[in-house]
Amino acid sequence: MRRVVVTGLGPVSSIGTGVTAFGAALRAGRSGISQITSFDPSGFPYRNGGEVRDFDPAAWLRRLPPERWGRSSQFAAAAARLAADDAKLDLDTVDRSRAHAVIGTTSGESVVLEALTAHLVEAGFDAVPPRLIEQLPAGRLAHAVSEELGLRGESLTLATACSASNYAIGYAYDLLVTGESDVVFAGGADSVCRWAHAGFYRLGALTETACTPFDRDRSGILTGEGGAVLALETREHAEARGAYIYAEVLGYGLNCDANHPVAPDRDSIAECIRIAHRNAGVTPDQVDYICAHGTGTPANDLVEAQAVLEVFGPEPPPISSIKSMIGHTMGAASGFGAIASTLAIEQGFLPPTVNWSHPDPQLAAIDPVPNEARSATVRLVQNNGFAFGGNNAIVLLGAAQ
Amino acid sequence: MTPLTINGFAALSAAGDRPEALARRVAALAGECHPGAPVGGLVTEPLPRAEGHTVRDFDVRARLGRRGTSFYDRATALAVVACGEALSDSGLTVDDTNRARIGMVLGTTVGSLKSTSDYSRETLVQEKPYLVNPMLFPNTVMNCAAGQAAIRHGLKGINATVTGGPLAFFHALRYASNAIRRGYVDTMLVGAVEEFSAHRAWASALGPAGGEVLPGEGAAVFVIGGHTDPAGRAAVCAVTTGYGPDGTAEQALTDCVARALHVAGVAPTDVTLLATSETITSGRRPQRAAALRALRGHRPAELVVSRAAGDCGAATPALALVAALGLPDDGDRPPSGLTLLTAHGTDGGVGAALVRR
Repeated sequence: MRRVVVTGLGPVSSIGTGVTAFGAALRAGRSGISQITSFDPSGFPYRNGGEVRDFDPAAWLRRLPPERWGRSSQFAAAAARLAADDAKLDLDTVDRSRAHAVIGTTSGESVVLEALTAHLVEAGFDAVPPRLIEQLPAGRLAHAVSEELGLRGESLTLATACSASNYAIGYAYDLLVTGESDVVFAGGADSVCRWAHAGFYRLGALTETACTPFDRDRSGILTGEGGAVLALETREHAEARGAYIYAEVLGYGLNCDANHPVAPDRDSIAECIRIAHRNAGVTPDQVDYICAHGTGTPANDLVEAQAVLEVFGPEPPPISSIKSMIGHTMGAASGFGAIASTLAIEQGFLPPTVNWSHPDPQLAAIDPVPNEARSATVRLVQNNGFAFGGNNAIVLLGAAQ
Repeated sequence: MTPLTINGFAALSAAGDRPEALARRVAALAGECHPGAPVGGLVTEPLPRAEGHTVRDFDVRARLGRRGTSFYDRATALAVVACGEALSDSGLTVDDTNRARIGMVLGTTVGSLKSTSDYSRETLVQEKPYLVNPMLFPNTVMNCAAGQAAIRHGLKGINATVTGGPLAFFHALRYASNAIRRGYVDTMLVGAVEEFSAHRAWASALGPAGGEVLPGEGAAVFVIGGHTDPAGRAAVCAVTTGYGPDGTAEQALTDCVARALHVAGVAPTDVTLLATSETITSGRRPQRAAALRALRGHRPAELVVSRAAGDCGAATPALALVAALGLPDDGDRPPSGLTLLTAHGTDGGVGAALVRR
């Protein structure tokens, strides 16, 4: 059977753009949280988010004209370009019809939708500029990647909310192992927007200043944004061109709670972990690190920890949340998790859960890698992603053999 | 490649809520455009045109009861009902022995544009921007319909939502085929949904196709794979998608059709029906031209479902397949044999599928 490897990483994040900057920020435990500027947050009691400040798409994009594409598409395309460059992949040497783009998202072109809505509130439907209608379809996130890199294969945007990047990586894995493709650019993108900020606030799921996963006093998420794309290839393709191999994708598991639109389900998540392990051919004792969904809401972190304990027993591997640094980047979240997991394997460290100060007696068995990155030999990582709609998705990454 | 079987299907459209109704309307129109009907009280906002193709008298509470349905938006309601009818058409009973092995994938453009835009609107017009309804927040997320359908029907297998407008249904078919072939599930519900709203009507009127065809709505769901009926009612022989960068979508679609013929192991002359997802009525038809180039001179019968059911966005090609399969065998059905479905989404996104009846 073909094997699937990670050969390039493209993070566009609030703590750094490009693999070097992002990796250094993860190790340093840097925070990308600041007061929101992309909309006027003054009417909100809580005003912080994880924005990618000073994102300049023109600095990264070579073929895509930024003015014709929405912010999330720009994030996706810039992240894919970074991943292609990091993989040192000369696309002229690739069979472009066997090179695909699979991008996950929660809210697609949310900034475009809010601009469109502002026009219709102000002056009615007929005042909406056709430019915004053209930029609105969520399918354009993957199309932006295909256009930027000149790919002729499948160009798919998966909209499975906050686990969508893991769905994308999983589908990419299948396209590669089944022989449908040689190269897939997979990940996710989303943008900070007012409506999600408002919705999470009213759900009681937003926190005021800092996101503190696994802390006793954790009180919610901060909305974040960015683009996270991985260049994935069959091992055969990567080796034939002498590519550097960061890590291997071992498999993934998906399932659906079919229970509640927003509340996480412990048994269902535990089952998803088992499915992922079975598909990847690994056992719990082999997992060195869990890159948590770790949103920082009281419910998520408790349920996620309980599910982990159910599968791993009383001494699970360290489990940390990079959302403490970049906020909840929605459809990009598990893409950033996959990049962090890959770097953990390649560079031998565990990304920390920053802002952690109080042990939670209910999570006594959980080691959240508090506040400081830790050196460790990491051969196998489980990257968790959960979502509204009960869309659970877990990817397993391993050290390159 | 082994074809996947279609073991049941359902559709809700302006023609009614039976697949045969849509197939009959398509046959009766003989290629002409249906004039639509006044949209009436369904929409309170101003519309670009008073007519549309809506599912008449659709009342989700009458169908499913009050419990669990209060916060459904129209797209979710249409999808949940269509999933239930498709399941019952297939004869598949969902229970604890199989629910983890039954999944679903739904195609959309942006989810419920109305739900999302209305939510964003509240943040602008309320006294405080956060005075939104938390219970409606999940409706702003594109996977709402698939998530609610899973809850309603107890489907715990792979649950996915794919975007792409008319292209989404082809992605959904491919996603479902992969999930079954990889052994992750035994059965997938595969469909697409789009609701009628002022938002979509205006988006259609102001969009690139200029609203030549009236805006419509609908949901179509197919039960694919599974063991209930090994012979199946129809078979999905090939599904291909691709992308044409730099304005080469038409060539990319020709390539997709050629690849689908190759995968299915059939000749152009085996294709008896070409069903495009076009929403134009006049001038050059790039989808048709691209498909016919791949068919190398062969001219099958044609079906443009938007002429009968309106511009149904993501649901358009799914409804086209319903129309192609919908008539009972004893009726004056469309040509039996091999249906070629095509779509062009936005930009360079294209797809093709071959389904044998």
